[in-house]
Amino acid sequence: MAKDRLAGVLERYEAVIGLEIHTELTSLNSKMFCGCPVAFGGEPNTRVCPVCLGMPGALPVPNEAAVEATVLAGLALDCEIARFSQFHRKNYFYPDMPKNYQISQYDLPFCTNGRLDVEVGEGDAAYVTRIGITRIHLEEDTGKMIHVGGAEGRIAGADFSLVDFNRAGTPLIELVTEPDIRTPEEARRFAQTLRTIFLALGISDCSMEEGSMRVDANVSIRPRGASEFGTKAEVKNMNSFKALHDALAYEIVRQADLLDSGGRVVQETRHWDAGAKRTSALRSKEEAHDYRYFPEPDMVPFEFTDEWIESVRAKLPELPAARRDRYVSDLGLPKQDARLIADDVALSRFFEAAVQAAGASRAKPVANWVLGELSAHLNATGAAVDECGVSPAMLAELVVLVDDGVISGKQAKEVFAEMVVTGEMPGAIVERKGMRQVSDEAAIEAAVRKVLDENPAEVSSYRAGKTGLVGWFVGQVMREMRGQANPAVVNEVVRRLLEQ
Amino acid sequence: MADRTLMHMTAARLRDAIARREVSAREVAEAALAQVEALDARVHAFNQVTPDLALAAAERIDRMVAAGEDLPPLAGVPAGIKDNMNLLGTRTTCSSRILENYESVYTCTAVQRLLDAGALPIGKCNMDEFAFGSSTENSAFGPTRNPWDLERVPGGSSGGSAAAVAARMATVSLGSDTGGSIRQPGALTGTVAVKPTYGRVSRYGLVAFASSLDQIGPFARTVEDAALVLQAIAGKDPMDATSVDEPVSDYIAALDAGVAGLRVGVVTDMLELEGCAGEVRASVERAAKAFADLGADVGEVELPMSRHGLSAYYIIGPAEASSNLARFDGIRYGYRVPDAEDVLDLCMRSRAEGFGTETIRRVMLGTYALSAGYYDAYYGQAQKTRTLIMREFAEAFERFDVLLTPTSPTVAFKIGEKASDPLAMYLSDVYTIPLNLAGLPGISVPAGLCEESGLPIGVQIAARHFDESTMFRAAAALEGALGLDMTPPLVRET
Repeated sequence: MAKDRLAGVLERYEAVIGLEIHTELTSLNSKMFCGCPVAFGGEPNTRVCPVCLGMPGALPVPNEAAVEATVLAGLALDCEIARFSQFHRKNYFYPDMPKNYQISQYDLPFCTNGRLDVEVGEGDAAYVTRIGITRIHLEEDTGKMIHVGGAEGRIAGADFSLVDFNRAGTPLIELVTEPDIRTPEEARRFAQTLRTIFLALGISDCSMEEGSMRVDANVSIRPRGASEFGTKAEVKNMNSFKALHDALAYEIVRQADLLDSGGRVVQETRHWDAGAKRTSALRSKEEAHDYRYFPEPDMVPFEFTDEWIESVRAKLPELPAARRDRYVSDLGLPKQDARLIADDVALSRFFEAAVQAAGASRAKPVANWVLGELSAHLNATGAAVDECGVSPAMLAELVVLVDDGVISGKQAKEVFAEMVVTGEMPGAIVERKGMRQVSDEAAIEAAVRKVLDENPAEVSSYRAGKTGLVGWFVGQVMREMRGQANPAVVNEVVRRLLEQ
Repeated sequence: MADRTLMHMTAARLRDAIARREVSAREVAEAALAQVEALDARVHAFNQVTPDLALAAAERIDRMVAAGEDLPPLAGVPAGIKDNMNLLGTRTTCSSRILENYESVYTCTAVQRLLDAGALPIGKCNMDEFAFGSSTENSAFGPTRNPWDLERVPGGSSGGSAAAVAARMATVSLGSDTGGSIRQPGALTGTVAVKPTYGRVSRYGLVAFASSLDQIGPFARTVEDAALVLQAIAGKDPMDATSVDEPVSDYIAALDAGVAGLRVGVVTDMLELEGCAGEVRASVERAAKAFADLGADVGEVELPMSRHGLSAYYIIGPAEASSNLARFDGIRYGYRVPDAEDVLDLCMRSRAEGFGTETIRRVMLGTYALSAGYYDAYYGQAQKTRTLIMREFAEAFERFDVLLTPTSPTVAFKIGEKASDPLAMYLSDVYTIPLNLAGLPGISVPAGLCEESGLPIGVQIAARHFDESTMFRAAAALEGALGLDMTPPLVRET
């Protein structure tokens, strides 16, 4: 409902949205300040040690790979990298946080002042908007709590609560945007684009469902033309891109209704309920903190040299936008196809290997196969492209077989279905099943002559003007050749001999 | 019957006697345990005595002796360990109700290095709760008494570690020093006490008080023994990001080099401070004269910024402590109120009931100092003061190789005398605190006995960062020149 009314509201009001995105560095081998492995799930409290449990006397030692991953993210987003930076302690009591302070960053984050250009919309309505990135900093994740009994699964009123510290100490980067986002769709596209970049950097699996990428939003509205910001609300608990979009749409309409009815927006944190499709205010008692930040005395500050920063920059992989542009300019792919492949690191790697094997001139049919049969196969089986049973070499060979006229497109689909099951190379399947398409004109002519000789009555009818019979002759020839003849050649030979 | 006279031997001599098979490590362990048995009911240096660990460690040494293996440097040396350092197989209570039954789940790096060097762990030593104090009266388990006068405090917070060594219940011990917690009890009990350079010894496994100030160091009866212990525990530890990868020089080799030509700076304005007892001042002057007689180049220096150290310390220390102690919430370990209504009630009342008065005072001070709107005026200002003190020391060390000051403004005071006056108690550390703020190493060396009370007086020798060698060299020269007998009456009588 909110979504239907959004367009109308946005004609009168401008929304001002800033995002705060937490991403776990799930690709690292160990936690932020200890050697425990980083992984999702598992038996509770099995990936823990004195450090991440906050046992008395244990000390944090920073994971240098996490620092590098944060700087890599900053460089990918055109941030300035601090030459001097440090961790701070953020002090507050909560049972999912073993030390009752979180090691985070405060006034000296690793990365500041970046930007990301986001493409929004399709076709003629498409536009690019530049979103400023205020900062990216590194911190440790908390544990997870399960509240049993009581209302809404919250700690207040629960009969008892359980804590799992497996996640505690997982490296977490927090990215904060400028309030440059104007619509729920821009917010969604920003988050999606950011995800493709982090995936390309290989720093996180960015799973919103498993919570390794968590998006919070600050949103306010103001009358069109106004320059002052309205009062903002912070929206949390959006576990998918759709939820992000829908929650913002709801919140914008809610705020507009408030203002329209003479009310005012209260600054508060609101919780998105995806089932009820609405936001609701969290109890204000759960907010209002003085975090008493101070520099983390258990670590020495970081001093980054230009050489070190450049050595990290050298590790930047090709980012999705550049890759897409290259597919368009160098390989001639349509922009939409190029983006679909380029956004996915594994699919891009597969595609490029297949193009390498098949030849750049066959990039388009390779892309069609990747986005067609291969993607359908991946969707159907849920397999990752690296372990789906089809290798780039197999797909390339299949494309070449079609392109050389050895088999027809229809046959190729059969071969694809077959090779997915057997793992054979397409050429071997074509040989084994005798599917090789015959284009040899002499062989086809022999078969056509045979059909004409055996059916004199039909030949006479054709020559008497019943030219529609040509299809029937072609069918007879194809049957004679067990379907392996190149239909285009058969058609041509049949016509030529009948006209003689 | 154990031969308790073994406890009069130094660590260096004990190891040699064991190596020469004149005595077994087991006999030494039994001597230490017998001395504890004889005296600790009166002194209360230990929260927990660990005969099983001591005898097991002794057995390992004796097997090495039997096998003819080379012995590590502290083989068979009875050692006390302050009760804020983790050791598997012991409780680590920090002398706090909130950790009364807390069993260590791992071993502190410095303790492990001490054990690897062959030391015998006799027990865990009493302290001011979480190291908050200068008298060991702030222990939830009762005060430690000074072996020189059982009516007096041994100093603090490492009072148990100091008293254990002074009373010959341990040959050496480990303490921790945040503002003077090793050196001040060293002075008050007539022992040699070292606060190493910040970063020299790993803090991993030391229950933190103020992370940017804490440092583990030894108590011993001789400078040589103290140097042996520091040699064993010093060095980079990958588990402590603030430990420094600086080579550990051979402290023993430097001990006999003498002080001829060494530039010794007497910090004169510290002697003028109100509250500095005349006998303390006289001891410093006697020490300065001893250095001059040994050929040192003795001069005078003033450190006017250092008098602000006390104020800066009582902001920075409590600020860090308020955060470090937040983990004691009754949820994962430690004392938990039995009848909590909800999680907030559980956390608040477990802390209120589990912490003692001084701990609560420091947590409140620190919380206040870090609060929004007060940070700049307090914590920010204290850090600026700290920088100025560092700079002042750096300048002084351009002119001098070591600096000489009192360790404590007074000799040991009576139990209860300052307990109700925190500010008077805080002044006990006025000479030691500046070194913690600057990260510099310092040693307290016995420099005489008060004529009136017969109580020990110590002087403090400070050196440049990571220059413990020069500090030990100066201390050994002074020790040799003064030739004092620092056996407390209690030990003589029994």
